[in-house]
Amino acid sequence: MIVRGIRNRMLTAAMLPVGFVVLLLIAAFLFIGRGDNEETHGQRARSLARQLAASSEYGLFSGNVTHLQGLARAVMREPVLRSVVIVNSRGEVMASAGQVGYKMPAHLSPAEALEQDPRRGTDLLLQPIVVEQLALNDLFEGRTSTPLVQAQVLGHVLLEVSNERLHQRQRELLLLSVALGLAGLLLGGLLALRLGQRVIQPVARVSRLIERIGRGEFAARAELIADDPMRDLQQALNRMAESLESGRDEMERRIAQATQELRERKEEAELATLAKSRFLAAASHDLRQPTHALGLFVARLGQLTHDAYARDLIANMDRAVQAMRDLLDALLDISRLDAGTIPIHVHAFALSDVFDQLKTELTLAAADRGLSLRVRPCQAWLMSDPVQIHRILLNLLNNSMRYTNEGAVLLACRLKDGGKRAWIEVWDTGIGIAPEHQAAVFKEFYQVDNLSRERGKGLGLGLNIVQRTAQLLGHRLELWSCPGKGSRFRIEVPLTVPGATMDRRGTVRKESPDDLAGLLVHVIEDDGLARAALVNLLLSWGVRVAQSSSLALALDQVQQGLQSDLIISDYRLPDNQNGIEAVRLLRLAAQKEIPACLISGNTDPELMQAARQAGLTLMHKPVRPAKLRSLMGRLAKRA
Amino acid sequence: MLLRLRNLFAGVWLTFMVAMGAHAQSAVVIVSSDDGAAYGAAAQALVQELERGGISRYSILRMKASEWRDARPQPPRLYVTLGTEAADLLARLVPGAPVLCALLPRNSFEAILLHTGRKVSSQFSALFLDQPAQRQFQLIRLAFPAARRVGVLWGPDAAKDGGDWRTQAQAAGFQLVDAEVGKQELLFPALKQVLDGTDLLLAVPSPQVYNSHTIQNILLTSFRANVPMMAFSPAYVRAGALLAVYVTPSQVGVQAAQLARAVLEGKTLPASGVYSNDFHISVNEHVAHSLDLALDEQDLSRRLRQREALP
Repeated sequence: MIVRGIRNRMLTAAMLPVGFVVLLLIAAFLFIGRGDNEETHGQRARSLARQLAASSEYGLFSGNVTHLQGLARAVMREPVLRSVVIVNSRGEVMASAGQVGYKMPAHLSPAEALEQDPRRGTDLLLQPIVVEQLALNDLFEGRTSTPLVQAQVLGHVLLEVSNERLHQRQRELLLLSVALGLAGLLLGGLLALRLGQRVIQPVARVSRLIERIGRGEFAARAELIADDPMRDLQQALNRMAESLESGRDEMERRIAQATQELRERKEEAELATLAKSRFLAAASHDLRQPTHALGLFVARLGQLTHDAYARDLIANMDRAVQAMRDLLDALLDISRLDAGTIPIHVHAFALSDVFDQLKTELTLAAADRGLSLRVRPCQAWLMSDPVQIHRILLNLLNNSMRYTNEGAVLLACRLKDGGKRAWIEVWDTGIGIAPEHQAAVFKEFYQVDNLSRERGKGLGLGLNIVQRTAQLLGHRLELWSCPGKGSRFRIEVPLTVPGATMDRRGTVRKESPDDLAGLLVHVIEDDGLARAALVNLLLSWGVRVAQSSSLALALDQVQQGLQSDLIISDYRLPDNQNGIEAVRLLRLAAQKEIPACLISGNTDPELMQAARQAGLTLMHKPVRPAKLRSLMGRLAKRA
Repeated sequence: MLLRLRNLFAGVWLTFMVAMGAHAQSAVVIVSSDDGAAYGAAAQALVQELERGGISRYSILRMKASEWRDARPQPPRLYVTLGTEAADLLARLVPGAPVLCALLPRNSFEAILLHTGRKVSSQFSALFLDQPAQRQFQLIRLAFPAARRVGVLWGPDAAKDGGDWRTQAQAAGFQLVDAEVGKQELLFPALKQVLDGTDLLLAVPSPQVYNSHTIQNILLTSFRANVPMMAFSPAYVRAGALLAVYVTPSQVGVQAAQLARAVLEGKTLPASGVYSNDFHISVNEHVAHSLDLALDEQDLSRRLRQREALP
């Protein structure tokens, strides 16, 4: 493209002056040629007339008509002549030849004359026949001699000259000029192209070289030709390519070095993260075991009969265990969100179910704090995941209660967009959040004015869980707050028509304690304390319990004829075995699909994934007795 | 500048000479029509011949006709005019001394006499440029021994001499074939008539017939008719005439001096015009060659002189 452009411009630059010069030359050639032709034509005609006049002098002197006729005929052989007429001094025609195409002039001028007849394309030449004077310088010719009577003009020659041949020659001249001009232009064009090639080829070479360098072929080099007009440029390009190549090599070396360093850092960071995860997993597991057992023991203890003081102590213990459990649950939720293992099941559900459940769960806690939890009844049906909505609202309500010293916390639903959407709102009369903190409260472990990390105010994970869960569901979350007056959190959820397919899977239902009575539960737990606490709790619910500390013992019991209704297994078992394998082997041994669930202090997302794939519900330690009972109830019903 | 100086000097000299003339009468005053080469040669020969005859150079005055007309010096003992214009001037102004008109054709002298009313006499005589008819027929006989018929073309002013010439021709053994070209008549028919069957065309001075405009065609016509022309002047020989017999200006000067000396010695001028004694013959070699003739100037001149008993 560039080459063609240069070629066109060069051709234009070369052809313009060439064309101009050629035109000038043609014009000059034509001008001079036409002038020459006309002059030659005129001179020839005049010369003929003069010669004929001179030759006719004696014929007229002697009155020799034959001689004059011969002269006229001889002159008439000239192709340019139409007619020849010789007249004497009295105007009488002495001789003529050719076709006379004009009327004889009445008066014949004594001087040479030319009359043009453009209509016929002829010129009429009038040439006087004058007596030639011979200087004698003789004494006999005195001044007193008698004046001469002999007339000076003997007669006239009239030549009718045709301009046809002149015009033909002019046409030939024009054609020749045009042909010469075209030849000149052609030659000029060819020369320009030829010369242009000698410039364009190096330009094209340089252009190709630049393209290759542009594509990153820094190894490309121009071949240097001795008489190349762009030799210097190509040398400079070669040097540039060399420096680019060395620069690129240097840069690649540095990038490789930097990449290597980054890789090493990343590996270090990954190793550190892995170490931290292992530590957290180990610590979490090890924390969950005693907390789990403690919770179960406190629950069991609360079922016994005590005096007022002891009950108060047990209630405080229970609150402490509850707080610890909440902390561990929140950590568990965060780790699930991190792992992306939270299952989302969107379907239509009645919001009132969720509200009722929350009211049940939190009324007592609110009352403990001296607050009033008000839940406004609502008939709306939503299209979302009720479990996650429950988790969001639970966290929001807990958060509001935590930062409200007096007054009330309100849970309500408001329709918008003509019934297409609903705002689920949590109001409180708490301390409020200053505008500068409103964006930050959703960050992990962020708590306003809790530098001492007072445990009664939670971990600072609740709002982070709310925000991330809302994002997961695609629901808009808004915060309005006024310090000292209170806050309002609200979440926008799409509405649906009442009576749509209702799937209560995932919703937490309150189970009747009677559902479990008489059930034979096989508990497999290697930790003695946890196993004792669980067995105690289960026994308090009227459940029959078979217990094993390892898979091998459990299998022994099955082989000895144990036919349990439900298996509750710890995930991590002695001898490098796990709960999933244990359930599979026990079911195999019992030749029955016995309902089972897993309990584990390990919050590893991979473990959750594995449990889901095996179709087993995994409960994390410390297990809340109510949750465990609810799960057991569902499993027993399915069986 | 030089010309002015020369004119000034001439003027001073003339005034001096005229003043001198007041005291001493000039012997001869030579009045020239012109200061051309022919007049100069004739005057020079005249003066030299007079000096040779013992006449002082200082008694001879030379002047142009126009100078003489303006100065009008005291009449000398003799005027010698050179050329037609000077002769005409002195004929009209009656200078008070004998006048010898030289270097002019006969018909011009006769024309002067005619229109001035003067008569030829010992007071007003002439030395003609023309050659006498007898000499010309003698020369024809020498050059063309076989010639019988001689053609002559007369102008209106010369036709009156026809009879005389015819007699002379017959005396020399020739038949004269002549024709006259009248005024306003075409030359060619008369010329054609004269050339028809003649052996030679003899040109006699007549400006009506022979002049610079006609000579070419006359020569051409005679050449085509294979008739050679004998003319009366060297200019015609140069123009294409075969030969001419004529008197040169020097010869005229010498003869005029002889006549002047006679007057100074107390004699008179001839009472009628005289022809020149001496002559010169010119032949155009090219024309002779074209006509296949062998003529020699010296031989002809010598033989003619012998016949006329000239030295």
